[in-house]
Amino acid sequence: MTQDFRLDTVGLINRDKKLSFIFNGNNYFGYEGDTLASALLANGVHLIGRSFKYHRPRGFFGAGVDEPYAVVQLYRNNETEPNVKATEQELFEGLEAKSVNCWPSVNFDIGAINNFLKVFLPAGFYYKTFMWPKSFWYKVYEPFIRKAAGLGVASTKHDKERYEHKYEYCDLLIAGSGPAGLASAYAAAKNGARVILAEDKPRYGGTLLTSEVNIGNQTGKEWSENIITELKEMPNVTVRNRSQVFGYYDHNMLVMLEKISDHLPKTKKYHPKQRLWYIRAKEVLISSGSIERPLVFGNNDTPGVMLSSAAKEYLKVYGVLVGKKPLIFTNNDSGYETAIEFKKNGVEPIILDTRKEPNSETIEEAKNLGIQIKLSYVVVAAKGYKKVDSAEIAKISDNKNNLGALENINCDCICVSGFWTPTIHLASQSGNKTKFDKNIDAFVPGVSKQNETTLGAANGKFTLEETLKDSFDAGYELSKKITKNENKILCPKVVEKKKTTHDKFWCVPLPKGKTYKRFLDFQNDVAVSDVEIAVKEGYRSIEHVKRYTTLGMATDQGKTSNLNGLQLVSNIENKIVPEVGHTTFRPPYTPVTIGAIVGREVGKHSRPTRKSPIHYWHEKNNAVFVDAGVWLRPRYYKRGNETLFEGSKREAKNVRTNVGVCDVTTLGKIDIKGPDAAELLNRVYTNAWLKLPVGKARYGVMLREDGIVMDDGTTTRISENHYHMTTTTAQAANVLSHLEYYLQVVWPELNVNVVSTTEQWAGVAIAGPKSRDLLKKLFPKIDVSNEGLPFMGYLEGELFGVHARIFRISFSGELAYEVNVESDNGSFMWEKIMELGKNFEIQPYGTEALSTLRIEMGHVAGSELDGRTIPYDNSLEGMISKKKDFIGKRSLNRKAFVAKDRQKVVGVIPLDKKTSIPEGSHLVKDKNAQLPNPKLGYISASCWSVEFDNPFSLAILKDGKNMIGQKLFAMSPLKNKTIAVEIVSSHYVDPKGERVRS
Amino acid sequence: MQKYSIFNLIKNAFSGHQKWDLAWKDATPKKEYDVVIIGGGGHGLATAYYLAKEHNITNVAIIEKGWLGGGNMGRNTTIIRSNYMHDDNALFSEFGMDLWRRMSQDLNYNVMFSPRGIINLAHSDAQMNIFARRGNSMRLNGIDAVLLNREEVKEIIPMADFSDNVRFPIFGGLMQPSAGTARHDAVAWGYARQADSMGVDIIQNCEVTGFDVSGGKINGVRTSRGDIKVKKIGLCVAGSTNILAEKLNMTIPVETHLLQACVTEPLKPVLDKVVTFGAGHFYISQSDKGEMVMGGDLDGYNSYAQRGNLPTLQHVLTEGIAMMPFLSKLKMLRTWGGIMDMSMDGSPIIDKTHIEGLYLNCGWCYGGFKATPASGWTFAHTIAQDRVHKLNEGYSLSRFNTGHLLDEKGLGTKTWIS
Amino acid sequence: MLHIKCPHCGMRSQNEFSYGGDATVKRPELNKEISDQEWDNFVYNRKSLRGKHLELWQHLSGCRQWIKVERDTATHEIFKTLKANEDI
Repeated sequence: MTQDFRLDTVGLINRDKKLSFIFNGNNYFGYEGDTLASALLANGVHLIGRSFKYHRPRGFFGAGVDEPYAVVQLYRNNETEPNVKATEQELFEGLEAKSVNCWPSVNFDIGAINNFLKVFLPAGFYYKTFMWPKSFWYKVYEPFIRKAAGLGVASTKHDKERYEHKYEYCDLLIAGSGPAGLASAYAAAKNGARVILAEDKPRYGGTLLTSEVNIGNQTGKEWSENIITELKEMPNVTVRNRSQVFGYYDHNMLVMLEKISDHLPKTKKYHPKQRLWYIRAKEVLISSGSIERPLVFGNNDTPGVMLSSAAKEYLKVYGVLVGKKPLIFTNNDSGYETAIEFKKNGVEPIILDTRKEPNSETIEEAKNLGIQIKLSYVVVAAKGYKKVDSAEIAKISDNKNNLGALENINCDCICVSGFWTPTIHLASQSGNKTKFDKNIDAFVPGVSKQNETTLGAANGKFTLEETLKDSFDAGYELSKKITKNENKILCPKVVEKKKTTHDKFWCVPLPKGKTYKRFLDFQNDVAVSDVEIAVKEGYRSIEHVKRYTTLGMATDQGKTSNLNGLQLVSNIENKIVPEVGHTTFRPPYTPVTIGAIVGREVGKHSRPTRKSPIHYWHEKNNAVFVDAGVWLRPRYYKRGNETLFEGSKREAKNVRTNVGVCDVTTLGKIDIKGPDAAELLNRVYTNAWLKLPVGKARYGVMLREDGIVMDDGTTTRISENHYHMTTTTAQAANVLSHLEYYLQVVWPELNVNVVSTTEQWAGVAIAGPKSRDLLKKLFPKIDVSNEGLPFMGYLEGELFGVHARIFRISFSGELAYEVNVESDNGSFMWEKIMELGKNFEIQPYGTEALSTLRIEMGHVAGSELDGRTIPYDNSLEGMISKKKDFIGKRSLNRKAFVAKDRQKVVGVIPLDKKTSIPEGSHLVKDKNAQLPNPKLGYISASCWSVEFDNPFSLAILKDGKNMIGQKLFAMSPLKNKTIAVEIVSSHYVDPKGERVRS
Repeated sequence: MQKYSIFNLIKNAFSGHQKWDLAWKDATPKKEYDVVIIGGGGHGLATAYYLAKEHNITNVAIIEKGWLGGGNMGRNTTIIRSNYMHDDNALFSEFGMDLWRRMSQDLNYNVMFSPRGIINLAHSDAQMNIFARRGNSMRLNGIDAVLLNREEVKEIIPMADFSDNVRFPIFGGLMQPSAGTARHDAVAWGYARQADSMGVDIIQNCEVTGFDVSGGKINGVRTSRGDIKVKKIGLCVAGSTNILAEKLNMTIPVETHLLQACVTEPLKPVLDKVVTFGAGHFYISQSDKGEMVMGGDLDGYNSYAQRGNLPTLQHVLTEGIAMMPFLSKLKMLRTWGGIMDMSMDGSPIIDKTHIEGLYLNCGWCYGGFKATPASGWTFAHTIAQDRVHKLNEGYSLSRFNTGHLLDEKGLGTKTWIS
Repeated sequence: MLHIKCPHCGMRSQNEFSYGGDATVKRPELNKEISDQEWDNFVYNRKSLRGKHLELWQHLSGCRQWIKVERDTATHEIFKTLKANEDI
């Protein structure tokens, strides 16, 4: 079996390995080493898709990352990936792909009707219409436009692929393995530097694979292969292909995407699909080469029109002829090189050169081979709809303004070369202020901001000799700076054909009476006329032009279109290109899979999960868990078919009548030591701390400097200079940083050390009237009577041989204790408590019961301390010392904070004593008031009071102090509920606090 | 001024679209104006438009350092909503929603306002309660809001993570059906075109170098294109407020930070709502072009760089995948950064200042785009009448002294934590 | 990703640190009579300069020390890092 457009011997593909694939339902084959693009071209397939706006037929324009047209929907391993560049996708056995943005098929696409309406659809047309009637934009026009836009289709299945991250440090990172990259890598590596060399394509060598040059008596290809082989063997060198350095970030941090498995039918087990490298390099060498610029003429988007360098690459790398009657349209010598390759392989090209009398070694060679050359000639328009079948050409006047008579010429492809644009993206991303080089009509890197050097074509140097010399020098000099070695490799002798200067001409004028579209941006269908309209309407800044016309905003990010767009604007505005300036280059250089950026932090691992040492007991005992910050906490322990409501009520009730035990390990714990520890606490908390005796705990509230409550908790004086602070679960990390900030930055004179001990202690709360009886069993040797261990007292003891700290503190409002043991003993403690607690009808309780208990006691927690309330709002004004200063005190005298009708926490009971009030309801006077209905306060927390067996809520209410006894309405329009309520004291149960002291 | 319409579009097609007028003229500064608006972003342009339209003040110049609409106006994620808890924020934004609904017709410029709805996802009962508090407040303020349970969310956005392999399961969400998106550039251009047609001078590439203040009064502004005499100046330069405040010897409760956003390659329609993640900070919508537009946390340290860093983006996208795992397979096409005025309570400032004739509009944090029309409208009122309107009473500069803060998130003064 | 030299630990990547804001803001002394303006300047008002900015960072996932960093807010160039008790 042969392929019509495949040469028999030329190319770097593996002809021993045939690969079959499917495109748009048709079966084809290619070879190992093909891209999807080269394999399709080998089969004579040029029509690959439709354009964004007019749905015009689209073919292949490039052969790599710069490709503007050829994006396909890829099917691989039961998944589908949208917008894959066919020019980058390597062929694998069984590959399947489809055209995007066409319906019903790429051959017959309904959307192409836009092509006939194009006179009505100039740049920005949608801003000028679709406005009537008013509601039609959202209901009619927009859905239609949205459906027509977009390219590929995203599957909403979860990604089953794996992506990994790698962090690397190196002396030199070299981006691009063309002649500049290879030479600098080799020179630096030989001089002892740690080098990473990255190549985005599967093959190393860049332009050396396609150019006819000689380096040190070897062909370019041989030389590159030998260098790579040697580099791969050096221990100080990492060489990676299929690896694109796509971002240059601050402080010489670069990011590279390595495609590990995209070229395989499926990812191997335990392998990632892609790997993201974070590379911190001492020096960066950018050898990313250049991209050929298109010439602009009528219908230059027709399939079969492509870059001449791409045609050469298809031929020399893949053995594929992109046509058999090629027309080469060029303004420089590069087109000749492509023509020569055609000719050598038995194809007769015709060259149209815009120049009048060019002369160089390359041109000589073409002439000697007998290639037909037409000087001062241009392509006026490509002919053919789905594929070029001929071209309209004409002689052009010396001033390039006038066209001669139009002639028709037969051809099946048009290879264009408008000279070269250095790939300056990485340099620009690094902060390098680029400058315009008039000699090459393009921007090149200017002064470096970071440790970055650009070499070769990326630096606007287009001869091999100069590139190699610069690169060997740079590799040596930069490595010497780092390694201090002086092993210099001499630059080998280079033989290459000399070229002459290019013609600045790039855009063919329209012949009289013709309205051909001349495209700048091929994917987004932006033509010369669109840019002209934009500028005419006053969108003159290059950013305005870009945004109004969408020039350069397609998936290729304008790699082939931006510079021509700039030239056009500068022509219209009568400015020079640097005055117009280019739009900003930002990472990524080429689109990057989001999964690769994220790495392994997906699914359950998207954030760490912390579990208490008692977690597995909870799990075994039917705990239903709830996220509390990064922790998992039991919400309730489910019995049978119990609901949350039923279960939590049972657990809370049991605390009030018997005894309950709750895992409180997640509370933040901070160890505070030092002679000034009491002074620190005295400054951090709002109440007085200097006289707390050893062996006593105290409740404290801390504020932010703006007067808002930051956190609360108890702190216990363990010994003279040693305190144990507890924080809420949510604020633990913030409170520690807060203390460290004041100790290190604000009051360094305080001699105190703080350290988190949250993970070091497992903690349980034992609460309920029978808790002391249980404690006696747990600690038979110590006196835990009301006298021996009074409320807010502290003792240490042995729990069956395990050291324990016992605090008599209570969140539930019952007689309660908190016991801490070292984390490793947490499980042991818990099981002992459960075992000995059986006689007292102990039950574990979760956060929901804990909530119920604290709400009916009127204890404030997270839903009241929400970062917006001051102590007064939470009825904590009694905690504020008048005598001393503390963090945030100065803010408490603000006008709004001392207003007479300031909000305050209150209790709320439904008048019917039956209807639970949804949390988040608002309190209003008049349920039927006109909107906006003035809100007096909101329900912060609700529970079913197990003490009184009716609903009870807490609310933060305006003028709460004077509202007790008032009747209001709690409204939850979201739940369609309006409940008549009475305002009561927030201390619903045991308002005098007798139980905790009992 | 030419009217934009389908008929004119067709008519112009026959002349090859050569007869369209300039959308706005590039003016050169005159010696004197009644009002100078500094900052040619959305808010500045809208202010000038409403000064002319509502207050008949047309001897106005907008001076812009770069190109108009080039700051945060052209760098946001185009979300428009009024789902606020605090009354001042809610009523102000809802007033703006009404202006948004009429904007295309008012401006005769299709700004593509698309009320497709926003869903804030909740990942715990506690969060559902917090959203209920906000949603109920919205409803009592006359703003549409719906509390969705898990099943209802699943019906609307099935591509969110409803699997078992999820770190933060979806409990439900708060939806504002009338929220949506608009084409950001078009808003700037539409306001510019109308303001220009009513006589406002739009002056681009004109940088403010200083102010002429004497006796506690504004007398003029110095620019890179000459001095301008003026009695009233509206400062509308979110992202550069601190820089101009320094020139006025003011320190203000605002810090300057960087916020990044990114888009994927264009895709066929897959998501027709704006969705935000509740267990972190991530938001997403799909543009008319098909790109998924995403954003999240600030870069986390003071910045004027208009250029972001990868760790933040990685963090933001991690939350994106946690919310909608299919995003993992999409490709990030473009990233960019905008410089934010982060105020100390997360809400903006639209007020007079201690300098007579100097009016301040700043502190928009992430919320500037949606506020464009309401901000312009109230700022124009404040400048024209020399007193704040009821709608922007809450946005006073003095609230930081009096304690009448508008802290939607309860995060306080650490502006870099978002 | 910034590369920050912790004065205690050496060069580390940004993700080990957390930011702490303007380091030139000085907390008024305790118990000192000060004006509202002075207090508001401490709590709320910021210069937030473009260019050199002295700021606090905490080496959170390292030595947990608060440090001072002099950084350019436009280019992110770091000129100097100091211990919390050192002055520029």
